[in-house]
Amino acid sequence: MMLSLGPIIFGLILGLIIGSQIKLNVGDSEFTLASFVVIFIAGIIIAWLSGNFPYYDDVTVSTAFLSPLIGIFVGKILFARSK
Amino acid sequence: MSENSMILKIIAFPISIILICSGIMTILGGHITPGGGFQGGAMIASGIIFSILIYGLGNSPLELSHTYIEVLESVGALGFIIFGLIGLGLGGFFLYNFGTDLLNVVPQNIQTIFHYPDVTNAGIIPYLNIFVGLKVFVGLSSIVIAFAGFKKFTEESE
Repeated sequence: MMLSLGPIIFGLILGLIIGSQIKLNVGDSEFTLASFVVIFIAGIIIAWLSGNFPYYDDVTVSTAFLSPLIGIFVGKILFARSK
Repeated sequence: MSENSMILKIIAFPISIILICSGIMTILGGHITPGGGFQGGAMIASGIIFSILIYGLGNSPLELSHTYIEVLESVGALGFIIFGLIGLGLGGFFLYNFGTDLLNVVPQNIQTIFHYPDVTNAGIIPYLNIFVGLKVFVGLSSIVIAFAGFKKFTEESE
């Protein structure tokens, strides 16, 4: 199975950069870490519907979509601060 | 809008995350598909802007700090210029694609280091897309953050 590392590595890095700015317990927003599970499942469905974008992998999900999603969650858990 | 609409408050943050992921996907496919750094960066910024519009400045789950904006803007601009200057030094003209050495003037080890790891042989173009994407993302977001801040300041001073 052919799998390109470029979109996975740089998707994770960009996701980590943006995920580090997510703050959940602000204002009256009611998002918890459990909400991320729902967002993650929705993201997996979108990645699957995107197919093998950007068109040079053999996998059936879009690695360029899924890796930033994982990166955002990891970045939120590891680096994000609460207000 | 940010006081009453509960449905918007529930749906805005997940949509922002999906928009951001779509923007990154556009950036990473920029060298072989329509899109690229500017378009992907604008999509990421639209996710941030959507979140700020719905939740308001100061209450948004996705809010960029001043230092973060400064650092990413500088990294985007400097990265682009540095890659251009490396191309100037190695190949003889600005932004020479030293990852895919068409003129055969770059040593093989440097070419290997800067070659983007995929099958399309794109060289440094995906890196330039990433730098442009970072710069556009924080640039457009900072404009809206500034406008929201001015509005908040005006409302508080009245």
